[in-house]
Amino acid sequence: MKRIAARSIYTLIVLLLSSIAVFYAIRLSGGDAVSARLPASASFEEREEFRELLGLNDPVHEQYFRYMGRLLTFDLGKSLTNNADIFDMLTHHGKNSLILGAAAFGLVFAIGVPLGILAAVRRNSWADGSVMTFSVAGMAVPNFWLALLTVWLFASTLGWLPSAGCCSFKQLILPAVVLAMEGIALTVRMTRSAMLENLGQDFVRTLRAGGLSETSIIGKHVLRNAMVPIISLAGLRIGQIVGYALVVETIFGWPGLGQVLVNAVLRRDYPVAQFFSLVLIAIVVLSNWAADVGYTVANPRLRKA
Amino acid sequence: MSSVQAATNGSTKAPVLSVRNLHTAVATPEGSFDVVRDVSFDINPNEVLCLVGESGCGKTITALSIMRLLPTPPVRITSGEVVFDGTDLTELPERRVRDVRSERISMIFQDPLTSLDPVFTVGQVMTEVIRTHRDATKAEAREMSVEILRAVGLPAPTERFDSYPHELSGGMRQRVMIATALVLDPEILIADEPTTALDVTVQAQILERLRSEQQDRHMSMLLITHDLAVVASIADRVAVMYAGEIVEEGPVDELFSNPRHPYTQGLLRALPHVSRKRRELVPIPGLVPPMQMMPPGCRFAPRCPHALEQCWSDHPPHEVEAGVGFRCFNPQPF
Repeated sequence: MKRIAARSIYTLIVLLLSSIAVFYAIRLSGGDAVSARLPASASFEEREEFRELLGLNDPVHEQYFRYMGRLLTFDLGKSLTNNADIFDMLTHHGKNSLILGAAAFGLVFAIGVPLGILAAVRRNSWADGSVMTFSVAGMAVPNFWLALLTVWLFASTLGWLPSAGCCSFKQLILPAVVLAMEGIALTVRMTRSAMLENLGQDFVRTLRAGGLSETSIIGKHVLRNAMVPIISLAGLRIGQIVGYALVVETIFGWPGLGQVLVNAVLRRDYPVAQFFSLVLIAIVVLSNWAADVGYTVANPRLRKA
Repeated sequence: MSSVQAATNGSTKAPVLSVRNLHTAVATPEGSFDVVRDVSFDINPNEVLCLVGESGCGKTITALSIMRLLPTPPVRITSGEVVFDGTDLTELPERRVRDVRSERISMIFQDPLTSLDPVFTVGQVMTEVIRTHRDATKAEAREMSVEILRAVGLPAPTERFDSYPHELSGGMRQRVMIATALVLDPEILIADEPTTALDVTVQAQILERLRSEQQDRHMSMLLITHDLAVVASIADRVAVMYAGEIVEEGPVDELFSNPRHPYTQGLLRALPHVSRKRRELVPIPGLVPPMQMMPPGCRFAPRCPHALEQCWSDHPPHEVEAGVGFRCFNPQPF
């Protein structure tokens, strides 16, 4: 419990510091929010007036406190480019990202853990060899290239799946697999090595001496021990998925948060860019926090520490 | 041989377990080597047989061979029999061996810290062991477990049922392991150095508990140890192992007072005695030969002060004298 409380405080501090960093970074990144909104023919006075209206001439820390104050009352503001309500953007695109992210996250464990168990139980067999080769390939291939490759194969050549778009099940398959690939590859390796490590532990012999079946020993006892490091790194997988979503959503034209953020940054749409940066940071930081909690729950030795 | 022993023990009952000419080998890149060589012994009803010897002499491998818990590959039984209740355990399919484990022959291990599953509670594992072998409800399994935990002297057994191993001390963990091994009331308990990893005060308690459980349950016990003090306090019979062989075997009093094999004599001379403070300890010279370089004759010959010409070339056969079996061409008075 103490451990969880400490991690929670730490998480809040990280969130606060990263909100400051994002706020400054966007304002220091050059370009001009005003020109995104006003026509090119607008005069200097008009621009200054508009700046004043948005509060962009105030010191950055004042802008920061004003912004955070509004965030806390759930006043997210509007886009500078198309006046869309940011809250509506969050719910609409957030839902799409959640579908894609959850599908990828599910694939990471639904494919990674069973393949890892198979490789460990059939160590040094052809099955182990193929799984490990797949795993190395999955880690080595960059996702943008894998995306193009799968589009070429499954969409252009075979015509089995659509190359882009949203939001049917068929359109979900390619981006979800591409997004999950590196996580699957890492999870396979981790599961295999954790299973092998625990299979060699003394407690396995004790359980065998108790007459338990190999199914229970491997599928229940060894797996549960092996899941401790896998669960603790599940948060990192979420972070990875969120980061790669920017690329994958853009390539597959999946209208999620990543795509919104990329467009907002390109257009210097301050309120949209800083809000969605914060959202993505919050997801990563909170998923790491959740991983810590998960690790503590999965590992009884840490529960009372 | 077993009939001779039974007669000298004053018991005519058949042994509960007979190990016959057991060979267990380890496969290495340089070839296959016997780590257990031609080992035979009986475990009689209600008796404590101690298997003693230095680390690496094959005691644990012998026990694991009986339980069919060898890490195969690379270690496997190459020949011999382990006869239990009329069947040869070495021939049984894995599924049938599982029915014997814990239900009829139980085993406890040296290090209670690493030998218990860290992510399950004491009760979860005990319940699973019970329900694997018996038709019991979870409530019945819990009742059985708490009862045996109490019997082996674990304080607050009801609370401990829901504890994780890391919440228990070393002595408590060993009691948990003993309780789990005894919960199905097996006919034989194999204890592999059960007190080696524990504090001296706890060692005595655990040994005492093992002895009393063995007597109350009319159970036989094979106790593996390198500690002759443990042997003296608990054993009915002793088998001394050296380099994978049993070199001497017999009733504890006879073997301690009148050992025939020079290795047994050496072990006893190397033992410190509280009563004889000034007496110097006499170590056995040399080291156990590595398994790749076992001498063709007596395996103890290179370290033996009484080795004859014959000892270097011929392998000494098993001989019996006054109920004590030994492998030596040149037994010495002690």
